[in-house]
Amino acid sequence: MGYDRSLSFIFRCPTKIVFGEGVAGDVGNEVDELGGKRAMIITDKHLVETDLYRQVEKALGRRYVGTFSAVEPDTGVHIVNEGTDTARKLNVDCLVSIGGGSVIDTAKGIAIPLKEGGRLEDYDGFQLLTEPAVPHIAIPTTAGTGSEVTFAAIIKDHQEKRKLVFANTYIIPNVALLDPLMTVGMPPHLTASTAMDAMSHAVESMHTSERIPISDAFALHAIHLIVNYLPGVMEDGNDLLARGQMLIAACIAGAAMSNTHVGLVHALAHSVGGRFGVPHGIANSILLPHGILYNLDACPEIYAAIARALGVDIRGMSDEDAGKKAADAIWELTKKAGLPQKLSEVGVPENGLEEIADLAISDGAIVYNPKPMDPEENLKVLKQAW
Amino acid sequence: MAYKFPSEEWIAEFGKAINANEEYKRTAATWEGDVVLIFKAEPAIGLDEDFCVWADLWHGECREIKKVTLEEAQKAPFVIMGSYANIKQVFQGKLGPAKATTQGKIKVKGNLPTLVRHLKAIEAMIKCAASIPTKFLDE
Repeated sequence: MGYDRSLSFIFRCPTKIVFGEGVAGDVGNEVDELGGKRAMIITDKHLVETDLYRQVEKALGRRYVGTFSAVEPDTGVHIVNEGTDTARKLNVDCLVSIGGGSVIDTAKGIAIPLKEGGRLEDYDGFQLLTEPAVPHIAIPTTAGTGSEVTFAAIIKDHQEKRKLVFANTYIIPNVALLDPLMTVGMPPHLTASTAMDAMSHAVESMHTSERIPISDAFALHAIHLIVNYLPGVMEDGNDLLARGQMLIAACIAGAAMSNTHVGLVHALAHSVGGRFGVPHGIANSILLPHGILYNLDACPEIYAAIARALGVDIRGMSDEDAGKKAADAIWELTKKAGLPQKLSEVGVPENGLEEIADLAISDGAIVYNPKPMDPEENLKVLKQAW
Repeated sequence: MAYKFPSEEWIAEFGKAINANEEYKRTAATWEGDVVLIFKAEPAIGLDEDFCVWADLWHGECREIKKVTLEEAQKAPFVIMGSYANIKQVFQGKLGPAKATTQGKIKVKGNLPTLVRHLKAIEAMIKCAASIPTKFLDE
């Protein structure tokens, strides 16, 4: 699993990562350290009713000026613009997001026009910002997206029914407070699907054309943590050791992905989600083993390393056989976690596959897949996963 | 003869190269939209102000290509910006367009899905640029 002499890369992970039980209570100090005086919380309508939220609001003390709690799953451009208006009225200089990927991405989105002016849609593109966005402290309540350390915000244009990617190193959150206590209330199904989102980030970050050693190290450890701690956290959602390790796994898988990107699995999952509303983690979970098998001949040695990280005894196996075992191990993990195995089980009609296959060709992730893709090849993978 | 890069002469050659390229014609058959390329000013190498190139690209054809002002350039639906050194690396094929944007060496304004769908056309265009005998300002 080597690299050749043409290897050249930039690895970025500027986020200050703070881990431990109760660290969400340090949020006030983190705002001070960032020079913030007026912090707004971004969250959703469920979390705003919880003790977790109230603890963070209390910890912000005099720095707290308001809350924007209108974030929904699959956040939208209109939600971000509404949040930006709220932040402007409150003269906010620091954002604190409490939630999963949708909430954290909303805060990243708000941070852009709040600093640069205008509306979010003015910044549709890649690396367009001219200076760091408004400071942002992310407190994840799920262990999956890794959005607390990534450079992209996925925000849906609900009118056009498509997901937009706002990608910029200036929107990487300044601080991530990884507090296992914040994830304890996650129901088993969400725990499993978000974990598989993290798993897909780790695996895909390793097979992309932009693969680099530092990301590989993060990804391999993330895979190891997920396969070892997901069963425990599924058995006992109050297991704080396992919850914490899952948060770490999601975070480092996110850092890996943010630097080397993702491929076919995410391109298809984004399209499945955008078109048929399949939750991102579920779509990734279903598609991941099929993505491995499809790409197997392009980079079998990488899948052999992944199989080893998954706990497969690969001694005496060819890389190809080990790669197949990696796909098997992922199926075994998702079956045990009670996750759906086929696209047909999650409301994707067979006659919708061609549309997904075509849509995925416009997804940025497809560019980095180890094998070049076109709609016909996408369709082959989708049919296997259906 | 080598053409100074960038210059109006080089731009004209670029337009001709695009129109002569079968690969571009095929891969850009569904492309609709004007594209602007902005080289950021770099007085040290004689580029005293931003140099902006506007290309009217339509269904695999370059209908017009010209130098424009920065104000005009910013009205285009697709804008690609970068330092002279970074754009040169891309045009020489030493830095892939996807990697260049990812690393923040090139900034891209415009609808990303449209650009991604036409990545092969972008790559063909880069080959067209690389085919022009070029004299770089910093060499």
